Amino acid sequence: MEQKILIVDDEAHIRMLIEQTLEELEDHGVEFLTAENGEIALEIIQEEKPDLVFLDVMMPKMNGMEVCRRVKKELGMHNVFIVLLTAKGQEMDRQKGQEVGADVYMTKPFDPEAILKKARQVLNLT
Amino acid sequence: MSQPTLKSLLSKRSEIRTWLESWLDNTNAAIIVTDDQNNDLFGAATNGEQQAATVTLNDEIVGYVKGNNSTALVAGLLSIMLNKEVEKKKLGSEVLNIYQELNVIYNFSEKLTKTIDPDVIAQLTLEQAIHSIPSHSGVIVLWDQEHRQLMIPASSGEPLFNEERLRGNSELLLKIGLSGQSEIVSDVSILKEKAIIQNNVSSLVYAAMKVKHRIMGAIILAGKNTEQYSAAHLKLLVTLALQSSTAIESAMLYEKNLREVREREEAILRIHEVTKKFVPNEFIRSLGKESLTDVRLGDQVEKIVTVLFTDIRDFTNLSEKMTPEENFRFVSSFNARLGPIIRLNRGFINQYLGDSIMALFPEDPEDALNAAIAMQIAVQELNAQRQSEGLALIRAGIGMHTGPLIMGITGDEHRLDAATISDTVNTAARIESLTKYYRCSILLSGDTLQLIKNSNKYQFRNLGKVLLKGKNNLLSIVECMNGNPAEKLEKRITTIPRFAEAMNNYLDKRFENAIQLFQDIIDTDPDDHTAGIFMEKALKYLENGAPENWTGTEEMLNK
Repeated sequence: MEQKILIVDDEAHIRMLIEQTLEELEDHGVEFLTAENGEIALEIIQEEKPDLVFLDVMMPKMNGMEVCRRVKKELGMHNVFIVLLTAKGQEMDRQKGQEVGADVYMTKPFDPEAILKKARQVLNLT
Repeated sequence: MSQPTLKSLLSKRSEIRTWLESWLDNTNAAIIVTDDQNNDLFGAATNGEQQAATVTLNDEIVGYVKGNNSTALVAGLLSIMLNKEVEKKKLGSEVLNIYQELNVIYNFSEKLTKTIDPDVIAQLTLEQAIHSIPSHSGVIVLWDQEHRQLMIPASSGEPLFNEERLRGNSELLLKIGLSGQSEIVSDVSILKEKAIIQNNVSSLVYAAMKVKHRIMGAIILAGKNTEQYSAAHLKLLVTLALQSSTAIESAMLYEKNLREVREREEAILRIHEVTKKFVPNEFIRSLGKESLTDVRLGDQVEKIVTVLFTDIRDFTNLSEKMTPEENFRFVSSFNARLGPIIRLNRGFINQYLGDSIMALFPEDPEDALNAAIAMQIAVQELNAQRQSEGLALIRAGIGMHTGPLIMGITGDEHRLDAATISDTVNTAARIESLTKYYRCSILLSGDTLQLIKNSNKYQFRNLGKVLLKGKNNLLSIVECMNGNPAEKLEKRITTIPRFAEAMNNYLDKRFENAIQLFQDIIDTDPDDHTAGIFMEKALKYLENGAPENWTGTEEMLNK
């Protein structure tokens, strides 16, 4: 089955950059989905059940933390691997991340290599 | 960069798909979109009149639109969208490149802030360069201005560079590499000829490291593939080189500063070591200061201390027989023997006054007494040595007194001196000079004696009271007999009760009795010159009669 990655960020250029960073995964048949706010993200997650979500924390209309909490805690979608993206200098404490069930934290400006490496690892692509 | 496909364009959540769906709902059109392999991508097969149009990307057919209506319109729309998508991807890829470069520089500067070691910075720079600009090998060369030679603070990757050759060919490098230019070297043959690089190197790129207009060196990267380096690589390498240059320059300056500060500190420490020999640390510390440099004119502290004076008896006679140099050497060796004794007993030397030492004992008067006894024993040891060398023997008098003392800094802003200003000092000095008069070794004031807790450890005898010149108060004078050679001390101890009795008779003006007792003591202990002096006085008073108001007090009119 086709693997899916959802990229959630209210900033278009970040969505584009992440998608561009992960572009080579298309050769493995990975499909990219994007969402510009938390509400849309939650909708897509429920419908599409992506394998991996890059989720920005600071967003209008339901922030990333809340999206993560609903997906992991309320919907119990444990197969969705969630990477929370936080702005540098605004790192939240790990405990809060654990509370909402995030799998990994990464900081923005993100390191393209690290993002690609993480995606390959989660999707089991070498 | 992979091309966008019609499939991804028509993916489930794409805008165009949503738009097409609502358009179909509002018209009677029925269409189907397939890729170039005829796989259905959108819509459903229709039975009506078939039209077909092609979707193209860069003049290549990538799919078909079939249906009963408007197929050309939809196909045209999809072609335009697809081409836009290509442009978007191209732009995205360029933005990503810039972003990646930015990220490299960002991370690199963050790493640079974590070190101040030039070699570590060089190594860090090279590793970053090789990572961001894929290379098989790299070196950083720096021109050491001071030693006029090339240094290689960092090298990494495969051994494609011959470092010995590199160093040995500084002129060549100065011409091509250290000229302040940065470039992708198209012809590496000359470097191969000189065996600076291995034969399998095909590409070389270098960037000058410079601060302002001064060339520091260069980062050189080598690759085994032809045309391994692009203009973008060169640009990034130049940026890394510039950043690294500034960091290395700062680190080297920092190192230099640190070295200078350390040297200066050592110099200050040496000066401090010397000055504390002139002005005792204890003196400075008793002023509540850490070091001599903290001391200001007028700083002072008042404290109860025991002041001790030593003096070489008949030094004038002694010194007349010596050359000035011998004289100096003699006093120095004498002081060198006594100094440690004073320090050992928690005292410190406040001043050397020729053959005399003034020492202060701030802790306990008994310290001063112990020091005095030990000093007299040291003098005896010195005498044993002098005797064997056929030299004249030395005698020393030691006097002490306890009282308040102001230690402070006097002088003017150009010349400061540590000074002790106190009556206690004058009194102690005068007690010391009394040792000549009474012909004994150690004298202390009654005030000092009172403060000696273990007084039963020592042998004392009372020498009556004196009125010092210019003073109103009477001062009890006590002799300590410890510090005399053992046999002499033993003899003198036996006469202590008789001496006390003799003194009582003497002070009560019963001079005849006193003379008898003093004579008795002298018969037992002919060396007891102190007893002899009191007997002479008693004889004088017996002969001439004592003055009307005589109390037995000695008026010391000379210093």
